[in-house]
Amino acid sequence: METNPHIASQLYTNAQNIARPDGAPNRGDSLFAEMANDFMATMQAGESAAIAGMTGKADAQTVVEALAASEIAIQTAVSVRDRVVEAYQEILRMPV
Amino acid sequence: MSDLSSTMAASASGMAAQAARLRLVSENIANADTPGFQRKTVAFEAVHAMFDNAGSVRTGRVELSDAELPEVFDPGHPLADENGYYQGSNVELMVEIADAREAQRSYEANLKMFDQSRQMNASILELLRR
Repeated sequence: METNPHIASQLYTNAQNIARPDGAPNRGDSLFAEMANDFMATMQAGESAAIAGMTGKADAQTVVEALAASEIAIQTAVSVRDRVVEAYQEILRMPV
Repeated sequence: MSDLSSTMAASASGMAAQAARLRLVSENIANADTPGFQRKTVAFEAVHAMFDNAGSVRTGRVELSDAELPEVFDPGHPLADENGYYQGSNVELMVEIADAREAQRSYEANLKMFDQSRQMNASILELLRR
């Protein structure tokens, strides 16, 4: 798995900002918040597995599994974010 | 948990089980010349459906082989009895090597499954991206 740690952390920060469930609650928010919480849990599991792997407390396959799961979560979150931003820009371009 | 991530969890558990098996093989080989050493074996068991990670594999208890210990003739050995024999270990190197090779092959198979599920996941996300 070749993930540049710098890019990964940047993506994580981006995803964190978009996935942070704050602001006024309205329709559809709870579902999104649930998804975001799930995503955060996956990321935290990945982080703790990576730390455990570095300190020799976890074996390689656990680390790889957790990192692969967080990689998938990041990819999903980034793809969804891109679609959302694209849709938003589409609305902005709409002639009134 | 989706099917693909369950696949990855099951494959990772398979790899962990094979790693545990290889560890026991290496312990057996390291102690092949230890007097009185009994070969260690471990059984694999499926994780019951009531648990979260159902369908994965886990290793059971480590058991000692009760095969007969060979009598080795060496009168100069400190453990030798009055006839000059002492009990060796019941590790057979040929068996251990075969076991290690089998563990390696199973590990590779689990790794392939892991990689495949990862690739399938990545390719379906690729669809969303364009």
